[in-house]
Amino acid sequence: MATKVFMEALSPTMEEGRIASWVKQEGESVAQGDVLAEVETDKAIMELQARGEGILRKILVPAGGTTEVGGLVAVIAAADEDIAGLVAGQQAPPAGAAARPAAAPAAPATAAPRPPPAAGAREPSGRVKASPLARRLASEKGLDLRGLDGSGPGGRIIKRDVLAAPTAAAALQGKAGEWEDVIPTQLRKTIARRLVQSLGPVPHFFLTTEIDMERALDARETLNAIGDGKISVNDIVIKVVAMALRQHRECNAWWQDDHIRYFDDVHIAMAVAIEDGLITPVIRAAHAKSLRTIAAESRALAERARARKLQPEEYTGGTFSLSNLGMLGIDEFTAVINPPEAGILAVGAVTEKPVVVDGAVTVRRRMRVTMSCDHRVIDGAMGARFLQTVRRMLEQPLAIVW
Amino acid sequence: MSTDLAVVTLGRAAYAETLHLQRDLARRRISGDLSRDLLLLVEHPPVVTLGRSTQPQHLATPREFLAARGIEVHEIERGGDVTFHGPGQLVGYPIYRLSEHREDLHWFLRQLEQALIETLAPFGIAGERRAGFTGVWTGGRKIASIGIHVRQWVTWHGFALNVTTDLSYFDLIVPCGIPDVVMTSMQRELDARAPRDLWTRAMEGVMLGFAEVFGQRPQLLALEELAGGSGDAGGGGDG
Repeated sequence: MATKVFMEALSPTMEEGRIASWVKQEGESVAQGDVLAEVETDKAIMELQARGEGILRKILVPAGGTTEVGGLVAVIAAADEDIAGLVAGQQAPPAGAAARPAAAPAAPATAAPRPPPAAGAREPSGRVKASPLARRLASEKGLDLRGLDGSGPGGRIIKRDVLAAPTAAAALQGKAGEWEDVIPTQLRKTIARRLVQSLGPVPHFFLTTEIDMERALDARETLNAIGDGKISVNDIVIKVVAMALRQHRECNAWWQDDHIRYFDDVHIAMAVAIEDGLITPVIRAAHAKSLRTIAAESRALAERARARKLQPEEYTGGTFSLSNLGMLGIDEFTAVINPPEAGILAVGAVTEKPVVVDGAVTVRRRMRVTMSCDHRVIDGAMGARFLQTVRRMLEQPLAIVW
Repeated sequence: MSTDLAVVTLGRAAYAETLHLQRDLARRRISGDLSRDLLLLVEHPPVVTLGRSTQPQHLATPREFLAARGIEVHEIERGGDVTFHGPGQLVGYPIYRLSEHREDLHWFLRQLEQALIETLAPFGIAGERRAGFTGVWTGGRKIASIGIHVRQWVTWHGFALNVTTDLSYFDLIVPCGIPDVVMTSMQRELDARAPRDLWTRAMEGVMLGFAEVFGQRPQLLALEELAGGSGDAGGGGDG
């Protein structure tokens, strides 16, 4: 007699579970109490044990797949037992799936276009409709069913489709132009988590201004002509932002849930692109450092960042962030706040633009900056006043020594 | 419910050995051979462990390089991602029968966090949770990691609390420049305020934290003293 294996609850409030891995594979014999699979919640793994014996005939939720608690995940039965009825009943989307957003079985045409052309063979739950034989053949050939077109009833993938498909290697090449699945690195995952954490709960708003950079660039040329080290536009922006934050402490703050921490010192975190992500080394007390010191430090930090040599204390404790994509030709963009900081300034490229000065059109070098503000800390007018100071200082760079 | 908690301190012990011991003790807790919940406290030589949700590429440093630094790598059955254990880190393996508490893994994870928060409080370190994550943070830095495995509602694996851990080891596995995963230790948080016997006091703190949170009476025992007849308390286990 067949034994159904159900998704178990790891806690009373759990609604669905994820199969981390199958310990037993289809076709293996299992005894009562054998570990069939591992079910995962955030930091806990629970073993799913066999409550009957026989052959693990059918796995309905593959490793990495999710199903609701109580949902059928596998069937154990005798080798010759007919389990088609048991399995077929489950191939239809479970009742719970109807409530899922964007799952519209009745109207596949309205579904968002996805790279694989086999949308018709896919059920709303993400499972692919395919005959058991097609599945077995596909797994033998190392083919991913999701990449196949189904020619059976309702777009179901059948034997013929699998046999007609190119081999796995060829299929991969064929797909190369369309998409590539890459498991995110730890760093990428962390960035993802951080940014979701930021844009989700942090109420962002954005302020953009355009700054005339003629004088700042002239000053930079002069300084570079007399000095030993090179000063970049970004160094000047760091210095100016730090000095402006000294005058606008309300923007130099951390949101700490139950309190807001305002800083007197300005520690500028600067986003540095590294090979597979980004990192934000911090220039401490930037308001009190000379432009020359800032230039030397930012260069050293960026180099150490790219070589992955930064110590934790070198990339934590920033009070305000700067992100500059100007060197990549971006004129204007918005950056995501790095919590708990309350603001980040996105700096675009310096470009020559026609502007009206004293009633005449002239060409000026201009730079657009956009500040992202955490509205829990910074209000519109506060952010605007700070940006105004930044703009004035950059347009009158003598203010740096003021 | 298990009102007694047997605490066994193993000193410094190799990871593999302790893993065998845990599995063996968990099996005995499942079978009823051991009637009490257990907490093993141990310090490991440097080792990197890969949990069930680790992809091989999360280990940012080549294994040969780790080996050259004397760091072993183990792939194990606990939940969670890659982590590091090493000197100065207090590792705790609670072998609890949850059917005698609550059959709820989320509850258990939160209880472990609470026990560690209680551990830190007397030192003046404010332990925090992070919504959506498991582990204990302070001031945005992670001070303790948690990952467990469960069979028939008996748990093993557990937590790793950085007491005086050399934090540079973490760079080998999580080369992240993002405050979220900045690791810290009690030593680093306390700095000059750290008591001289920080390690011993942290260990006591953990015991008291567990006692408080699970409402149990902790009792320090040697491995050989664990009640139950099978007599193979020395470990070795089934592996």
